[in-house]
Amino acid sequence: MKNIASYFLPVCVALLYLFLYLPIFVLIIFSFNNNAFTQSWTSFTTHWYADLFDTAELWDALKNSLIVACSSVALSLTLGSTLIFFGSRFIVQRLLFLFYGSLAMPEIVLAVGLLSLFSFLSVSLGATTLIIGHTLLGLGYVIPILHGRFVELDVNLIEASYDLGATKQQTFFKVVLPLLAPALIAAGLLVFIISLDDFIISFFCAGASVQTLPLYIFAVIRTGASPLINALSTIMLMVSSILVLILSFLQVKKIRGQR
Amino acid sequence: MKFKLKNFISKNTSFISTVPAVLWQVLFLYIPLVLVVYMSLQRYTGAAFFDLTFSHYYALLTSSYAYIIVRSAMIALGVTLFCLVLAYPVAYFLALRTSERWKNILLFLLTLPFWTNFLILIYSWVFVLDQNGLINTILLRLGIIQEPLHMIYNIYAIFIVMIYYYLPFMMMPLYTILEKIQHEVLEASMDLGATHWQTFRRITVPLSMSGIKTGVFLVFVPAFGEFAIPAIIGGGQQMFVGSLISHYFLVTRDNQLGAAFTIISGVVLITCALFFNWLCKVPLQTVQKEMES
Repeated sequence: MKNIASYFLPVCVALLYLFLYLPIFVLIIFSFNNNAFTQSWTSFTTHWYADLFDTAELWDALKNSLIVACSSVALSLTLGSTLIFFGSRFIVQRLLFLFYGSLAMPEIVLAVGLLSLFSFLSVSLGATTLIIGHTLLGLGYVIPILHGRFVELDVNLIEASYDLGATKQQTFFKVVLPLLAPALIAAGLLVFIISLDDFIISFFCAGASVQTLPLYIFAVIRTGASPLINALSTIMLMVSSILVLILSFLQVKKIRGQR
Repeated sequence: MKFKLKNFISKNTSFISTVPAVLWQVLFLYIPLVLVVYMSLQRYTGAAFFDLTFSHYYALLTSSYAYIIVRSAMIALGVTLFCLVLAYPVAYFLALRTSERWKNILLFLLTLPFWTNFLILIYSWVFVLDQNGLINTILLRLGIIQEPLHMIYNIYAIFIVMIYYYLPFMMMPLYTILEKIQHEVLEASMDLGATHWQTFRRITVPLSMSGIKTGVFLVFVPAFGEFAIPAIIGGGQQMFVGSLISHYFLVTRDNQLGAAFTIISGVVLITCALFFNWLCKVPLQTVQKEMES
């Protein structure tokens, strides 16, 4: 009896991971399938990968996605750090709740609100409106992260800097910024990923002129899937797993360095 | 004049610095929300400013669309409960019962979907559930079924894929909170004669309550407004809150009805959240009472 109980949890874990990864493996296998129309296996091929490079629409979508993601990261980090680093603590503390609003609502509500605002002001939809939406989304993550770190910051270090005759700017660039760099990088990375991955706000705020990568994928899936998407998915999976591996490797190194 | 402005800025840096971010948030989040409320009361697009009416709410609440809200809430609730039941033992295992090495590997595999485009994750299920998909192929080859089963483009497929997609969102907060529990506390409970089940119910669950709460919110709120999963796996047939909102705003351009529908669903969502918040306090209080007596 005790034996069965001790196997219960590992079996649960194995089944859950199978559930999580089985579809992904099937997807990867079918990216090498030489059959464009059905999901039955014919023969091995890599020509879908070659075809990816000739799909101009895809590269255009990727370019748009990167532009929007980079701009949203820059904007939300600038807005967030101005508020947290230079704003008076008294006001920031009392206004912090404003920034949790975007996290507490389903994204579709944000999207509907933005779309209504843009159509009310008769702003035409495009890259700008997308960047506005993604920055709003990003602020919801940037401000809590930065605030959390800023509150933990040792005030003595800042005071010491002032005592030693540094100006406000010098203190910011030489003391505060290096101390908060990890939080800034983490927040920036998060916003980048969120923007790159965002679908709902993009779906509402992009209009007809701009297509981002998720919108492109959605359009292709909807109009009848093509193995091109499998090849694209496989590449994206590889890229993201390599990124996560590098990140976790860096973290392990950092922890070891601290010890 | 220029000097005065400069002086003003340098004196009030800390106040001025709060303005851009707050302004952004107010302009692009809170004003739009007010606008949506206003639109839901507007008689039609371009009507006079004070020409307000509750007719859209009335029309929605008396139509079959009210049923869609209830169904979305029930499905979101079901998905949340399934995720909780499936994720809890695994998070428990990861946090308290495994070696450092396995823990790192399993955590890495768990975070990977977070970094992957979610449309791809959803789409991968087409290959499992489709007529010529993995499950049908296997079952046909084994001779268990003679005709392929219709497993995709129905509500069950949506349900399974939603559980699949939201599981990591439940796992993460559960793992984070369970990892903070000290082994000594659990050992003390066992030493004092509690059974495994008693320790679990009286110590582990109450201590992990805040993680459960976070996980439930992280799953329930987006699941309620789900849009992409029914669109891809449901074949656009099953109307959900998210699908209907986008249908009103993007297809029929009936902004007033869409706004009213958004507000009604928002109210339902907030009610669910408050109810759940209240529900979470109950077990903690009963445990406290048991301890006091």
